[in-house]
Amino acid sequence: MKKILTIISSLLVLVSYVVIAASNQPAADQEPYDEDTYGPEARIIWNKPVKGAFFDHKTHTMDMELDCESCHDELFEMETGAAEAYDDFNMAAMADGLYCGACHDGSSAFSSDTQCASCHLVPEGPIVWTKPVKGVIFEHETHTEEMGLDCESCHSDLFLMQAGAAQENDDFNMESLYEGNYCGACHDGSTAFASNTRCTSCHIGVRGVARLMGEKAETSHGSGH
Amino acid sequence: MKIKELEKLQAESPDTLPSAERRSLLKIGLAVTGVYLGGTILSLTSVKNVRAEGVVPKMGKYPFSPHYSMVIREHLCIDCELCKEACVETNNVPPYGFRTTILERRRDIVGGEQETIFMPVLCNHCNRPPCVRVCPTTATWKDKKTGIVVMNNGRCIGCKTCMAACPYNARYFNEEKRAVDKCNFCWDTRLSQGEENTACVEACPADVRVFGDLSDPSSRVFELLHAPETIVWVLRPEAGAVPNVYYTNA
Repeated sequence: MKKILTIISSLLVLVSYVVIAASNQPAADQEPYDEDTYGPEARIIWNKPVKGAFFDHKTHTMDMELDCESCHDELFEMETGAAEAYDDFNMAAMADGLYCGACHDGSSAFSSDTQCASCHLVPEGPIVWTKPVKGVIFEHETHTEEMGLDCESCHSDLFLMQAGAAQENDDFNMESLYEGNYCGACHDGSTAFASNTRCTSCHIGVRGVARLMGEKAETSHGSGH
Repeated sequence: MKIKELEKLQAESPDTLPSAERRSLLKIGLAVTGVYLGGTILSLTSVKNVRAEGVVPKMGKYPFSPHYSMVIREHLCIDCELCKEACVETNNVPPYGFRTTILERRRDIVGGEQETIFMPVLCNHCNRPPCVRVCPTTATWKDKKTGIVVMNNGRCIGCKTCMAACPYNARYFNEEKRAVDKCNFCWDTRLSQGEENTACVEACPADVRVFGDLSDPSSRVFELLHAPETIVWVLRPEAGAVPNVYYTNA
């Protein structure tokens, strides 16, 4: 009696182990990623004309089940980072149907001038400008979340979608703003407060930036105490 | 002294004091009180006479030629600190001190928000400088010609009384020069070389600082201070130092 019980219980244990082990097998799409079939696993990151634009092969090849010929070699060379070497690799070209715009035209996939955050990293903290004067900030949240503006309101007619690019321009100064360029396109007194009023909203000063950076260091990296 | 000799001495109490001596002591006391009272009355009345009409000197009454002064248009300052950088470069100001600095203030405005106001501060080259008054070695004085409060580093002994006396915290002790240093309107580095403006005035991109001769009616400082419907103020007028750096909102 005891012997039979032992055999049956050990068999049960064995069976249950096999069953559980089998059910814990990785699902079909969690098998070792096959780069020959689906393309590079790592995101491709472009830094020209703007930094921080990325492309994920998995989303297109595995999830959307596109094959290699959908993009290679007509739209893109089969080489990581090759596209940014071309002068026409920009949003205007995509609107014309080049590069990603071949599918991201609004019908095959979302239009390339919508859902910008799918491919472009939105800065979380304030952008700090130091030229031509120090101590100037811009906060995306105030404009995108509080005011409800969308990316196209400023990008890319007024500003390139790249943190810190504007200050490299020689004409990035208050006179330009008064003429309606950059921030002045809305900060003219009617759409938003005039850019020659409430200076310290953006011009928080060297002290303000130092405080901001000090706070950020505390919240992100810890103050080391 | 032996006890016997002590006992023989007369007690030094008012009973044994001759009245002539008592009188002379009282006279001394009265004289001292009189001097003290007179000085108090003098200082009170003289303060009342000055600046009864406002902080800007009356037109035509300029004790110095040129009467150098600075006007600070406070609402335009954005704390870019280009003025500080220019001053440091022009006058070799060490990092532990400053000849000019920017202070920050918060003010409540409508909507439950706050606005920031930046206030540049420098030596005010007062007409009655407390620092000059307290200097024990005459290492600092107000120049008779230009009105700039200047330093003679050789005479400074580093007692730092002037630093304590200044109502505007405008002075600092310079270790390299071994003397107290402060803004001198760039006299040695710029004005005496023929430059019109101080370094900070040239550097300001927002046109906050305006420098010039107040006794010249065509100068911009004169225009700003005598512009109609303009509010002009000075820092800490109650200190009685009668400064020559003015702040305006226009």
